[in-house]
Amino acid sequence: MTKNKKIILGCVAAVLLLAALVGVWFAFGPQSTNEGATTTAITNEAGESTPSTEKGGKSVTIEVVNKAGVTTTYNVRTDAEYLRGVMEEADGLTFVEENGMVMSVNGERADYTLDKAYWAFYIGEAYCNYGINDQPVADGDVFRIVYTAA
Amino acid sequence: MRKYRSELHYIATIGVLVALIEACKLAMAHIPNVELTSFWLIIFTVFFGRKAMIAVPIFTLLEGAIYGFGLWWVMYLYTWPALVLVAYMMRKSTSALPFALLSGIFGLSFGFLCAIPYVFVGSPTPGLAYAFGYWVAGIPFDLTHGVANFVLMLVLYRPVTSVMEKVARPL
Repeated sequence: MTKNKKIILGCVAAVLLLAALVGVWFAFGPQSTNEGATTTAITNEAGESTPSTEKGGKSVTIEVVNKAGVTTTYNVRTDAEYLRGVMEEADGLTFVEENGMVMSVNGERADYTLDKAYWAFYIGEAYCNYGINDQPVADGDVFRIVYTAA
Repeated sequence: MRKYRSELHYIATIGVLVALIEACKLAMAHIPNVELTSFWLIIFTVFFGRKAMIAVPIFTLLEGAIYGFGLWWVMYLYTWPALVLVAYMMRKSTSALPFALLSGIFGLSFGFLCAIPYVFVGSPTPGLAYAFGYWVAGIPFDLTHGVANFVLMLVLYRPVTSVMEKVARPL
């Protein structure tokens, strides 16, 4: 094979790989399942219909299981698209994030390098595949944040 | 005596090569997914040949010593040698574009290569689905990695190799 043909083949391979990655991302990557607040029309006293935005369009539950195994449950009405927003809106839930990793929840640290433990995130029974900034939330989702020893 | 000096030169050169990779890695640590490790490993392999390949396990060990030995370290055991092997097969090439393509494709594939261990290990349920999710979640980083690798090689190949031809002695 001549040198030019090899280079052309390499370029084609790179472009195909790029396209494949973008395709896989759009097909399987995080997608928002809810547009946020729902809009319902209401009728006022004059019989005119006016749009009304419903606050807290989604009901999401977060369960935090700490090192001692004690579970604290937070029920949140939210418009947030991603888990981070829900966690920020949950009354009484605090967390510290560093470089995309949640290091501390409700003041309890789980730093992998220091404590040999981490905060594991589950949606239902399945492990979350995305960080809190990219994990989409839908109405009725139940998230568990579990202190996990490595 | 000549053989002794030659061995000293070899050891010292490998040390400098690994130190160069580490220094560049630290310098660019604040820019996510932009790295010169791929660039230097390709350049060293092309310039010094098989004798420079020892830099890969030394670099990997050093990384483990600095950052701790985790699953990521296992990924380093096969990703960087794979890059160096392909670069060695392409060593006869004299233009920047083939190496830029190699570096770019490596960057695009890095996430896929790193997802392989998650087929076998991971919490709570390793397996193909877990590894696939890990890979998909990292695709935006892979895109940045691939493009950055491609551009850096294209821009730096000529200046760096011309300097190396003047100052570096073959091993």
